[in-house]
Amino acid sequence: MRQLILQRLALLILVMFAVTIATFASINLSDTPLKNFIAAGAELDTNGHCDAIRAGEMDDTQQLGQNVGDCEYIDRIKAENNLDDDIFTRYGSWLGDIASGDLGTSTTSRLEVSSILKDRLPITIRLVVMTQIIAIGVAVPWGLAAAYRANRGFDRVSTFASFGLLSIPNFALAVILLYIFGIRLQWFPTRYSNNGWYDELKSLFIPAITLGVGLSATYQRLLRTDLITTLQDDFVHMARAKGMPDRHIMYRHALRPSMFSLVTVFGVNTGALLGGTLVIETIFSIPGVGRELVEAVIRTDPPVVMAFVAVIAAGFVIINFLVDLLYGWLDPRVRSS
Amino acid sequence: MADPQLSVRDLTVRFPTTRGTVQAVNGVSFELEQGQMLGIVGESGSGKSVTAKTLMNLLPRTAEIEGSVMFDGQDVRQAAADGRDHFWGVEMTMVFQDPMTSLNPVKKCGEQIAETIRYHLGQSKSEALAMAEDLLGQVGIPEPGKRVSQYPHELSGGLRQRVVIAMALACQPKLLIADEPTTAVDVTVQRHILNLLDSLREERGMSMILITHDLGVARGRCDDVAVMYAGRIVERSATETLFGDSRHPYTDALLRSIPRIDQPSHTRLDPIPGRPPELINPPVQCAYAPRCRYAQPDCLKSIPEAQGVEGMHEFACHHPANTDQGREALAANVAAGRNASGMPVAGYAGTGGF
Repeated sequence: MRQLILQRLALLILVMFAVTIATFASINLSDTPLKNFIAAGAELDTNGHCDAIRAGEMDDTQQLGQNVGDCEYIDRIKAENNLDDDIFTRYGSWLGDIASGDLGTSTTSRLEVSSILKDRLPITIRLVVMTQIIAIGVAVPWGLAAAYRANRGFDRVSTFASFGLLSIPNFALAVILLYIFGIRLQWFPTRYSNNGWYDELKSLFIPAITLGVGLSATYQRLLRTDLITTLQDDFVHMARAKGMPDRHIMYRHALRPSMFSLVTVFGVNTGALLGGTLVIETIFSIPGVGRELVEAVIRTDPPVVMAFVAVIAAGFVIINFLVDLLYGWLDPRVRSS
Repeated sequence: MADPQLSVRDLTVRFPTTRGTVQAVNGVSFELEQGQMLGIVGESGSGKSVTAKTLMNLLPRTAEIEGSVMFDGQDVRQAAADGRDHFWGVEMTMVFQDPMTSLNPVKKCGEQIAETIRYHLGQSKSEALAMAEDLLGQVGIPEPGKRVSQYPHELSGGLRQRVVIAMALACQPKLLIADEPTTAVDVTVQRHILNLLDSLREERGMSMILITHDLGVARGRCDDVAVMYAGRIVERSATETLFGDSRHPYTDALLRSIPRIDQPSHTRLDPIPGRPPELINPPVQCAYAPRCRYAQPDCLKSIPEAQGVEGMHEFACHHPANTDQGREALAANVAAGRNASGMPVAGYAGTGGF
């Protein structure tokens, strides 16, 4: 087991490294360094206007309005992001900064990226955790009940229902739930609010249900299929021959060996949710990671984009590392190999 | 004579499938006295495991079951219908063929034994674990204290089968059904396991049904043997009678297909030609007739009823072996070179038989 962990850890570091290269490259190789960082104002500099203004050869107010301010801005962005260096040096210093916890400064809002992240990430994490708790909480009893009498009444109906849930796009479900529970019944707020933890929990409830319901259908399908296979195993017959009650057999014997697919997909989905709750965050005005990331892309804010992508990727990799450890908990044979 | 401990009457099990109804067990009847050991012998698909699983209430819900199964004055099928607690595992229990798969891979051995004790006997966890350790010692596992906290994959096949046996015996069952308990273990371990089962049975006055495809396994240990073919019991008698004076041609053929230690080496064995019949919509004839050296035209017209001495030596055959009638039928077939359904018949190669 120790060897397995070390192996996975080494792989994790390698993957993280590759992810930072990909992130950095995708932002920095698309155009000239300056244009990548300042979409609108870069013209000034490239046309030599700023040099002229700096040298006093050009009257700053004459032709281009607030040229001096723009040129100062350009100089600052250049200096902050070492844009005059070659790309390898820049990657190296970016990686070094990130590793030491300095995620840079937003080019538009002038806020520290780490403080933006500190605001946004916990909200998304809370949403993801709630979503997964709901999804697993629904899927496990549901899968057990469906597999217990596979292909009979309840299972048939639940197969139908799960495909129904899977095929509803989550923005549609969000609107429906919002209408019923937010507007009609007024049980839950219709948008994110944060006056204390209970208030926040309540405002995240409909978003979490929206995301969790579709996931629970996926999880239920996986668990049901694996359970049906496990229930054919000799040790299940043996447990019945010992006279153990059905409930005990389902929960204590069949469930754990049937959770591999579920746990795998659970890990992948947790990672995907970290950056992928954008639509829901937008509908419910949740200031989460996904929304900030998309907004940063639109307003051309490379330090924010790079840091967020790197953090999401790190989260993804770490969660899947934990899932690998979970396999060991599920099956002692993995532990000893 | 008191009622036998276990009495199975006209047990019929059918499985509806998309291809038709499978007649897995067809009018099987047998009794078992307390403390006795019954061997059920037959090849794959003969219905021996389905019979056992019917007793254990392990058949899928789709199975159609008829007939009666009485155990110690209790109606087993009624108990199954009522979902009775503390019956299976306490009154009767079962050991399966493959020790590699009949233990839960994710639970410690001790825990798997202890959970039975905790559920049926209501012991505390630590008491149950202590009893589990004790049981492991009784089935001859060295260092039982260590095994309790080991996982099944850390044990060898032979040890695992012992754990399974300990598990089955945890609540002192009155009847143990062993379904090919030695088929999946090493030949050298086979005898140890069988001897262990035998001695445990004797110590506890437990009854046992030993299911096997190996007549040799049944011979030394069983009081009675029932031979099954295509869902029916074709012959049933005391073990010595069966081995010394078999009546059904199938039993006879089985005996001739087993190598014997007292024969010179390189003695040819007589295999049984052909394959067992399909159990979907079987024709109304003796199921063994197509492979039978004795088969006559009347074997293809009706299913033979059980005859002989009831409860002593019963067999279902129109032309029983080791009788004048059978010898005539065999001689006629050898002379014709074929049996009634066209299978070639020649004289025996080996000296054959036990």
